[in-house]
Amino acid sequence: MSEYVVEMKDIVKDFGEVHAVKDGQFTLKKGEIHSLIGENGAGKSTMMKLLYGMYPITAGEIYINGEHMTKLDPKIAINHGIGMVHQEFMLVNELTVLENVILGFEPVKGMTIDFDKARKDIQHYIDRYNMEIQLDKKVSQISVGEAQRVEIIKTLMRGAEIIILDEPTAVLTPQETGKLFEILFNLKAEGKSLVFISHKLNEVMTISDRISVMRQGTYMGTVNKEETSPLDLTKKMIGREVFLNIEKDYSKAGEKILEVKDVWIPSQKESSKIRGMSLYVRAGEIVGIAGIDGNGQSELIEAITGLRRVEKGSVILNGKDITNKTPRRIRETGLAHIPEDRNTRGLNRTMSIEDNLVAVELDKKPFTSGIFMNVSEQDKYADHMVKEFDIRPADYKLPTSSLSGGNAQKVVVAREVSMNKPLLVASQPTRGVDIGAIESIRNTLEKAKKSGAGVLLVSAELEEIISLSDRIIVIHEGKITGEMPAGEANENNLGLLMMGADDQVETDKEGEKCHE
Amino acid sequence: MDVFESLGKIFNVSLIYATFRASTPIIYAALCAAVTQQANILNVGTEGIMLVGAFTAVAVSFLTGSWILGVLAAMCGGAVIATIMAIGHIKYNSEICAIGMGINLFAIAITKFLLQVIFNTSGSFSDPGIDPIPTVHFAFLENIPVLNGLLNDWAFTEWFVIVFIIILQFLFYKTVWGLRLRAVGQFPMAAQTAGINVNAIKYQAILISGLVGGLAGAHLSLGYSTQFVENMTNNRGFMGVAAMYFGGANPALTAVGCLLFGFSDSVGARLQAYGFPAQFVLMMPYLVTIVVLAVSMAIKVAASKKKESSLITG
Repeated sequence: MSEYVVEMKDIVKDFGEVHAVKDGQFTLKKGEIHSLIGENGAGKSTMMKLLYGMYPITAGEIYINGEHMTKLDPKIAINHGIGMVHQEFMLVNELTVLENVILGFEPVKGMTIDFDKARKDIQHYIDRYNMEIQLDKKVSQISVGEAQRVEIIKTLMRGAEIIILDEPTAVLTPQETGKLFEILFNLKAEGKSLVFISHKLNEVMTISDRISVMRQGTYMGTVNKEETSPLDLTKKMIGREVFLNIEKDYSKAGEKILEVKDVWIPSQKESSKIRGMSLYVRAGEIVGIAGIDGNGQSELIEAITGLRRVEKGSVILNGKDITNKTPRRIRETGLAHIPEDRNTRGLNRTMSIEDNLVAVELDKKPFTSGIFMNVSEQDKYADHMVKEFDIRPADYKLPTSSLSGGNAQKVVVAREVSMNKPLLVASQPTRGVDIGAIESIRNTLEKAKKSGAGVLLVSAELEEIISLSDRIIVIHEGKITGEMPAGEANENNLGLLMMGADDQVETDKEGEKCHE
Repeated sequence: MDVFESLGKIFNVSLIYATFRASTPIIYAALCAAVTQQANILNVGTEGIMLVGAFTAVAVSFLTGSWILGVLAAMCGGAVIATIMAIGHIKYNSEICAIGMGINLFAIAITKFLLQVIFNTSGSFSDPGIDPIPTVHFAFLENIPVLNGLLNDWAFTEWFVIVFIIILQFLFYKTVWGLRLRAVGQFPMAAQTAGINVNAIKYQAILISGLVGGLAGAHLSLGYSTQFVENMTNNRGFMGVAAMYFGGANPALTAVGCLLFGFSDSVGARLQAYGFPAQFVLMMPYLVTIVVLAVSMAIKVAASKKKESSLITG
């Protein structure tokens, strides 16, 4: 019997032309917390989805408790004691928490589901790990942190001894993360083996026993926590040192470009409704909006850009009232927009890089002459843009679907920034892109600011908000809970405000130490 | 005076049974659509499945002299047609609307063809040799004036539809299979990660839908009438789909939608007797379909707008 509960050897996984995993190796000991780290697209999630049987492997061998798994699907994985908490929760919104937990493993009494027994079984785990969960609420009504606990309970109910957590902290505040870590340590103490996928090195250094690194689909090695440092891990992850800290220059903020006055915005989710919010962005500054996903950021941005109705209040851009105007009118008034989801709103993925680059200005000269497109001008422009923004591959006739996340995002950024509009709204501009692209995108935003644009930045990465913004506005459940210059912000005071603390009194001690 | 007398003749107790009688085929059709809708598959082929069921029922009942065999064969026929849809949609990933419409056209053609080949006739086939679905007669009701007219001599399948609505309600919301079906319909990835075989559930849903659609057809040709007429479903399948939307695929609410169609149908038939233009009367069910769908969508939109609004607290 091997010392490992999981062994993955020489794993290869191709999705068509894309080689998601080229050389994957992974081992898990009983009772350890093993972190799997790497940049976005390094193949770490894919490795674990292969272990959970969500896709078949192209080549390689997987052993669970010493048994060679020739066939694997989620059902088989679950039966072998593997549970997975996915990055995007696998919960059915319209079903209750209780129904979600038992889904697939429903206790039965006669012909019906035995809800009483299910309730009792779940309560057992709730008590044991001290988790707060409301069983009769629909999933659409509970918070993200609670949904995550539901996912963990789900794996436990299925008898998981090996639990995979895919970027579990991405959606949590620092405080909620602390709570999650307590649960994870408890699970470890009970002898469960945990895989923790992350790219946040400080968290990895806190929680892991061993750490494995992947880069571009390839296994880069495993180390014990005691024998490594964040710097060392970064080098392994990226292959070079990276400086994400940007030289900030915040001296000449000019006139107000954007003014949002007491707006009320509808939303499907109660916590995302905006009930009276006011803010402004001046020329030559970056205003960062910090908040946990789903607290009204998307709604606010959609309302400003004309994609969502404003029920009350007004939005003023460049001195003109743009409330409830069409996106096109608003863009013409002076807005550029890097949307939150590049796949649905930022790009037409089936069309070429070139088509996407000229999309917003397609009806203007020099891209058209009369009713015809001027393709040679478009080619010239696309060629120039691909070089200036270092979009790879540089063949601008390729469809954007063939680009990596980072390069696809560069296409969006290139198009929007080069229009030189007075207001640039950037929503999650670096989500799901590799570190190289993050560096370039952040520099581009900084450049736009220096050239006099006002930038409104929304990001789930606190570190990004702090390092890019000049002013930070924190929102919680559709209300502004705090505003401060970036110099006064740190993970602690922002985190508390993100959870809805309406004053920063308690955080002052911590806050002072972290001033730049 | 005259008007009131006429109204009294139109809206009397017998209208209740007339409505129910006209609704039953549509209810079966709507339940056929509801089963797949729970798995988020729009069963556009309901009409075709039903038509094939209607023909099979008449043919088998005539050839064997047994209505039970006729009904069972109709259900199998419906299941076969549904399986074609299932394979096309799930295995070969074809658009369900396209394949559903194909099924509908195919059903019209194949029944017409088989009518010619087996019975050597066209247009319609009726024969005393067709064994109809029996009616249920309660002797004790004979002497009770109102109830006798209201409840006696229903076709067996008319009683059964009530039981069937309850069975489906139970199946969807109380059983393991129902929970999985709804999970597959609302978030297939979640169902998959819970170890559920999503495609298997979809196949099962379409297959069951086929059985129900076949039953709908059998009721139409052996219970509602005792004959087969080319294209005799006459868009009842589509009305069923509309009613299913109205009821949000919930069996009981769906049935309520169907009663609305049945009601307009029977009132229309009576109006005709009082000199209403026949064209108008024939138009009624379709008009009601549009109105019902428009109203139910408007209510849904208004409700979601209200739910999303930031101005209303609560």
